[in-house]
Amino acid sequence: MVWNLLKKNISAPQITGYAVANLIGLAIVLTAVKFYTDIHSTWTAGDSFVSTDYLVVSKPVPLIATGAANSATTFSDAEIEDLRAQPWAQQVGVFTGSDYNVSAHLELGGRHMSTALFFESIPDEFYDITPAGWDWTPDTCNLPVVPIVMSKDYLALYNYGFAPARGMPQISENIIGRVPLTVALAGNGHYDRYPAKIVGFSSRLNTIAVPQTFMEWANERYRDSLTPHEPPGRLIIKVNSPGDPAITEYFEENGIEVGGDKAGSGRAVYLMSVVTAVVVVVGIIITVLAVFILMLSIFLLMQKNREKLRDLMLLGYSPHQICVYYYRLVGFVNLAILVGALLFMFIASSLWQKPLRALDIAGSSPLWAILSGVLIISLITALNFFTIRRLVRRYF
Amino acid sequence: MQRIDSISFRNVLPQVFREVSDSTAITDSQVWLADFSLKRPGQYIIEAASGTGKSSLCSFMYGNRHDYDGHILFNQTDIRSFSMEDWCRIRRSHLALLPQEMRLFPELTAGENILLKNRLTDFMTEERIHRLLEVFELDHKYNVPAGRLSIGQQQRVALIRTLCQPFDFILLDEPVSHLDAANNALAAQMILHEAAAQQAGIIVTSVGNPLLITDYTPVTL
Repeated sequence: MVWNLLKKNISAPQITGYAVANLIGLAIVLTAVKFYTDIHSTWTAGDSFVSTDYLVVSKPVPLIATGAANSATTFSDAEIEDLRAQPWAQQVGVFTGSDYNVSAHLELGGRHMSTALFFESIPDEFYDITPAGWDWTPDTCNLPVVPIVMSKDYLALYNYGFAPARGMPQISENIIGRVPLTVALAGNGHYDRYPAKIVGFSSRLNTIAVPQTFMEWANERYRDSLTPHEPPGRLIIKVNSPGDPAITEYFEENGIEVGGDKAGSGRAVYLMSVVTAVVVVVGIIITVLAVFILMLSIFLLMQKNREKLRDLMLLGYSPHQICVYYYRLVGFVNLAILVGALLFMFIASSLWQKPLRALDIAGSSPLWAILSGVLIISLITALNFFTIRRLVRRYF
Repeated sequence: MQRIDSISFRNVLPQVFREVSDSTAITDSQVWLADFSLKRPGQYIIEAASGTGKSSLCSFMYGNRHDYDGHILFNQTDIRSFSMEDWCRIRRSHLALLPQEMRLFPELTAGENILLKNRLTDFMTEERIHRLLEVFELDHKYNVPAGRLSIGQQQRVALIRTLCQPFDFILLDEPVSHLDAANNALAAQMILHEAAAQQAGIIVTSVGNPLLITDYTPVTL
């Protein structure tokens, strides 16, 4: 009966206007939050989006290079320490070069091939693959197989560039792992041959890599005692967000080059999250405006119902008893908005799941979007309740 | 909260009368700027010319206006100390008010208007409400929207609504201004009966057509 009395002045267009506006605002916010967590999940998920969070850096070779690698193209300990101290650098790994001569020999289709080679190594945690047989322990008697990880690009160079041109067979990753290789190491008066095997291909490392343990052992054994140990020329850095402008700025200031276009793809993700943030802000602005509509509507409603509210309270109805009717209305509308916005978010995210999967991006849990929706609606509802209570009590 | 036995006025003056506090209208008044009490179960008729503040007096006592100087006490308690919740309790079970302008909801039926109050107090049975309406020969109007009743009919419906609660005092602001002598007598009888049953005080204001009760204390406002 009281509700029959109070609902007379409720303006359906105003409430609908609020509901639609807030639904749009909240749907945008929640969808953007979901999108953000989706793309962010790839960004922090390590290997899912290969090496976006690892940067291989070096220094540009000067116009006139003087003989061997020199300080212009290598990193000093101080420079490495400074890099490690940057907030965006999670881990910094050093490429260890080989201080000896390497050549590789293989028999393929009855032909003997050999090539001069080089090795590099980085700490194990920087690999995007963990190949079988990567552990290597020095044992000169049994001659353990030296495991090698090669850049995928090298295999592609061979298969699509070298092999067709020279009438050589193309090789798959599987086959190359079965080809018996021999590597010959020479230096410091030693010359030894070891069996070797390509155990994997990396898309992160543009090099020919051997385990760090092997590299240290070999450098010890084959380095000419007169030649000093070369400081590293390349570093691998694990970064929080590869597109962070601070990184680019730092590299420019210090004359450092980033290998490949990995920074670029990182920048795309970074840009995407900036755009998402803008969208979130727009959604929040719409939501805030919608809340203003509702506040205004509540205000007008109370104004129009002022006499009725006063009379009801003269009869002995408490402000709370009256507020409850409005709480129910606002609560119901806000709940419907939340459900609608969540529905929209789920439908929208199901639409982009497929293209994202094609990009090798796994979706994230909708928990954050749901939580933000519940939080926003709770805040709005609390604000509404507070306003209603204040207005009703004012008319007592 | 215990029953209200007395309503006392200590130097009370509506703030709108501040400028004219030395006029004869105020100095002759038994209520304004005086020390004055209404006791239960007394019967008081407050005689006043219009514009001397009798509706204000009712509003002050009922707690919906506070623009007065001085103090009004229920028993020994200053009513300014009451919270909204206290006032709601008082309006449901200690003080009944029939405002001069009745304040029925025109879109609700006569019956709904009465039930709106009775639902809050659960004081009367529906059967009893029908019987009271019959006394005024209004039972056939039970389902008619209050806005379509004549002023006199509205006044009687509003009176029954006012009686739908326990009370220590009943405040009636010109309750019979639109009633003929016969209905005035019926209303007086009904009020006296209810007040006697509850040992309650009756406070009636009047500008010309007083409630037809015989045993009362006249008060000049």
